Amino acid sequence: MKTSRAARRVRPPGRTLRMIVGLATVVALAACGPGVAANTGGSGEPRSGGDITFLIDSLGDTWIPNNSAISSFQGHIWGHLTDKLVYVDEKGEVSPWIAESWEQNTTATEFTLHLRKGVTFSDKTPVDAAAVLANLDIWAKGDATRGINPIGLFPKTYDHAEVVDPATVKVFFKAPTLGFIPTLGYHGSILVSPKTIALPAAQQADLANDLGSGPFVLSSWKEGDSVVLKKREDYNWAPAALKHQGAAYLDSITYKLVAQPSVRTSAVQSGQADVAYNPSPQELKSFSDQGFTTATPRYLGFVNGFAVNTRIAPFDDVKVRQALQHGIDRKEIISTVYTEDWLAPQSLFQSNVPGATDHSADFAFDAAKSDGLLDEAGWVKGADGVRAKDGKPLELMLYANPYLATSKSVDELIAQQLGKIGFKVNIQAFDVVTYGERVKIGSPSVAAYEVTRSFIDAGIVAGVLTDANKGENWFGLGQTDQKLVQLASSVASAESVDARAPLLDELQGHVLQQGYFVPLTQIVQRIYLQSPKLQGVSYNGIAYANYYAAWLG
Amino acid sequence: MNRDYARYALRRVLQAIVVILLAYVFTFVVISVLPGDPVTNTLRNPQNGFTEEEIARIVSYYGLDRPVYEQLWDSLSRLLVGDLGISLRSGLPVGRLIGDVLGSTLLLAGSALVVALVLAFAIGFGTRYLPKRYGQGLLRAFPSLFLSVPNFVIGLVLINVFAFQLGLFRVIDSEGGLATFFAAIALGIPVSAQVAEVLIANLDHEAGQEYASVARSRGLGQTGLFLRHLLKPSALPVVTVVALTVGELLGGAVITEQIFGRTGIGSLVERSVTTQDLPVLQAVVTLAAVIFVVVNLVADLAYPLLDPRVRLGGAKPRDKAEVAR
Amino acid sequence: MSVSALSRARPVIRRGQASRFPPTVVASFAVLALVLLWSLVPTLFTGQDPARGVPADKFLGPSTAHWFGTDHLGRDLFARVVHGTASSVTSALVAVGIGVLVGGLIGLIAGFVGGWVDAVLARLVDVLLAIPSFLLAVVVVSSLGFETINAAIATGVSAVGVFARVMRSEVLKTRRAVFVEASYLQGGSRWHILVRHVLPNASRSVLMLAVLQFGLSILIIAGLAFLGYGDPPPASDWGLLISIGKDYPLAQWLVYAPALVTIATVLSVNRISRWLRKTD
Repeated sequence: MKTSRAARRVRPPGRTLRMIVGLATVVALAACGPGVAANTGGSGEPRSGGDITFLIDSLGDTWIPNNSAISSFQGHIWGHLTDKLVYVDEKGEVSPWIAESWEQNTTATEFTLHLRKGVTFSDKTPVDAAAVLANLDIWAKGDATRGINPIGLFPKTYDHAEVVDPATVKVFFKAPTLGFIPTLGYHGSILVSPKTIALPAAQQADLANDLGSGPFVLSSWKEGDSVVLKKREDYNWAPAALKHQGAAYLDSITYKLVAQPSVRTSAVQSGQADVAYNPSPQELKSFSDQGFTTATPRYLGFVNGFAVNTRIAPFDDVKVRQALQHGIDRKEIISTVYTEDWLAPQSLFQSNVPGATDHSADFAFDAAKSDGLLDEAGWVKGADGVRAKDGKPLELMLYANPYLATSKSVDELIAQQLGKIGFKVNIQAFDVVTYGERVKIGSPSVAAYEVTRSFIDAGIVAGVLTDANKGENWFGLGQTDQKLVQLASSVASAESVDARAPLLDELQGHVLQQGYFVPLTQIVQRIYLQSPKLQGVSYNGIAYANYYAAWLG
Repeated sequence: MNRDYARYALRRVLQAIVVILLAYVFTFVVISVLPGDPVTNTLRNPQNGFTEEEIARIVSYYGLDRPVYEQLWDSLSRLLVGDLGISLRSGLPVGRLIGDVLGSTLLLAGSALVVALVLAFAIGFGTRYLPKRYGQGLLRAFPSLFLSVPNFVIGLVLINVFAFQLGLFRVIDSEGGLATFFAAIALGIPVSAQVAEVLIANLDHEAGQEYASVARSRGLGQTGLFLRHLLKPSALPVVTVVALTVGELLGGAVITEQIFGRTGIGSLVERSVTTQDLPVLQAVVTLAAVIFVVVNLVADLAYPLLDPRVRLGGAKPRDKAEVAR
Repeated sequence: MSVSALSRARPVIRRGQASRFPPTVVASFAVLALVLLWSLVPTLFTGQDPARGVPADKFLGPSTAHWFGTDHLGRDLFARVVHGTASSVTSALVAVGIGVLVGGLIGLIAGFVGGWVDAVLARLVDVLLAIPSFLLAVVVVSSLGFETINAAIATGVSAVGVFARVMRSEVLKTRRAVFVEASYLQGGSRWHILVRHVLPNASRSVLMLAVLQFGLSILIIAGLAFLGYGDPPPASDWGLLISIGKDYPLAQWLVYAPALVTIATVLSVNRISRWLRKTD
């Protein structure tokens, strides 16, 4: 992750505003409302007190904890209302939280969690072994009879868990599951009160009924409008990694829905709010030039890229896939659609994922090489610049990913770039619902599926690359690529991180050399524009901003 | 109150009820045409990585895998006992969702109506009495101009100027007085154009009438003339138009609320549409139809009582307004 | 929907005072002619590619090289506006076409056949009129899928009710007219009466409503595009351009240029529609 704090000399937002809009006289009076006048950007000691407003583009759909915890929107609120068993930082490092310590057996099929004592939910009931057990069960299995989803990406090898004593839980898996402990720090794995878990779905959907043990509690909420959190005074079990103990500094956080990105950013600029979520990346530079803090934390996961369906002609030809890889100018994407805060990909994993290795040479931009590969594969350039073979044009349909705001722009740029090497690229953009219906991995009309997926542990690859064990079969290979099948299954069954590392490296190399995956950029799915007064913000492994240790300077 | 009137009223009320029920069914049919629902949609979020099997299990809990006519029958029988169902997107009862936001939209629409009327009457008055060199003619072009500007452009400009440049209101305090006022302007301007057009046409007409000249020759002041002899006879058509624009206020709220970050029926629709949240959309569309039908019913029923020139029978009062909208 | 049709019912006093072609009307026709040319032969007006830009030239303000500036991918906005005209105009035409054809047919049948057919169709039209037109368009487009052509269809559907109403009342009026009854008495067939008397008389009001509806459709489709219910990139309908532009507050021309083009077009259409009514 990268936080750029551009200004040495921070200008008060009032002046910034003037610069932008001109109407100087009125602004000076109006914009320097309460709280904006202080122009020290800030050093100094953390201080308690203060309220912040976080402008967010959506408050997602339901509040049923299991169904919403992974949402890019509700995840922010859950992160403050609830705790997790372990903390995973932005480098993927796992550290204790509600689980003080843990052990596993040598085959990574049994884990014992030792819980911190004295932790309570906001209704004062204890976060004990029984509560953790109830959570583990609902994460793993959900409850279809009540309309409650399981947690996506929770290890499907989960068998059951047992209460050993009030502070100890033992968890059993059907197969080695190295990823279990990191998954406990994943955004889906939020601890909620067993009372909440027992409620029917319609009542869980009311956020007021969803009790956690986090540093903030719900003050009020209004569907589709806002959620107000206030600090919990007796909170005293923060993860050591956050470097703060006791109650939060801030008195309250207001998450307010503002759908228009420009309204969100202008509100922060004019001092009406403290944080704007998902500003347009292209405007970040001008904001940081004006003295605002911008943050572009990367989550752990796959990079943004295309999973190529090898069953669809002409992508059954490795040369065409490689031509695709080498035909994309990632530097131009970053300089046009993003800023230098975005990083070029090195592999199919984000470079902060433990076990990710640098394979960028396998897919480096080289238009001449792409041209050569396509020539070799028999695709001949026509008068209109589009290549064709046996009378068929070299076409590619890209489906802009609705979960990534910049996806359309990136696709438009790729269409231009690939156009130069003879591809005819069309773009289709669906809303979220239609996208879910029409654009599925492995569908015969989707040759290139745009991946945006976070995970906590790279072991996840075993479940997505092939169709072994009901895997997602990203490349349409089934189990035809023996080497891939074998690598994936040995990654899955690895019993220690050290033993797994070389296997992961080989797997990344294989997938990229075969052109199965076309990386675009390292992904930043959560972008923050922030008032310079707000300090001490931390970002976890899934790139959510945490304001537990934040304060207003 | 004669028997003719009673029969007429009864018929209109029955028609209104039929229309409302049909609107409910109509929305169901339109939305059900396409596959896709919020439940499946949440499950299909690529972050989840669920298998089709897992998805099917949850979907069947919500009864979304049953035949369409069964679902329609369910929703109709629920409606008859006053149950609007559960939102598929949020999991909350639809009645509660709407109840929470209805007040905000009514306030916005009501303020917008006031803004529209004030603007319309100001324009109407101006076209009669503003001296020519101060742009009387120009004023006549205003309704046309108002009708030509996309309302989201008005909204964006208002926010930009008044919230960010002048700092008159805070966007995050979207329900505040001034924020509501400016949102009401954005929503009310196109409506004011329609009212003003009708008003101007009627004022022109009345001004040409004999009694107006008589009044003028008797030395009645301009304002007095305007109020007593021009405005009053013009009021009835204006009432009709206002009743007809109620729907427009509700429709326009979809965009206005989104731009101003307000919660309300409009933003609820916007969120429900993108996820195809059928029960909510059905309820909202029906509610809009109810409001429209009731307002117009009241206007229609009041019409013959207000204006003795309108007789029942031959020409339904409604025919006057039929050309409108 | 426009209420202006209502004012038509009253005689307009200033009729005949102005010259046959007031300057604003001439200007309006000029604007529409330009818009028409843009949609037919866009390449005559701009040599730049609307879909391919120079990424390094992003966010350039309006200048002689780029009249409307450039967008977030360095594409010439003027080229995008010009090339987006065809789609904006066609979609509005489609919407009006649906309104006229479907609405007109319903109104015609209801008015001409009468009886229970009229009663049934009247309820259907009531439903279409009772649902706010923009709300109706939003619901229909969500069901059809978010594309410009679907937005056009949805807008057309939302206009069906109005056209049906107007058509029906015109048909009734004509049917009751003396000359039609005379023709009936002389033994003219129903078909003959329909084609010879009813349709020509009714079509005048429908035509004027259609002109007005054309301008309105541009606005509604732009509104739908604003909410994100339009074609995928690199489509450049005016509404889409405004919608994309609004996300870049630092490059305000991205909103104002396409917005002004839209306003000028709709204003011209409205002006012409008013002028048509006066010369009626």
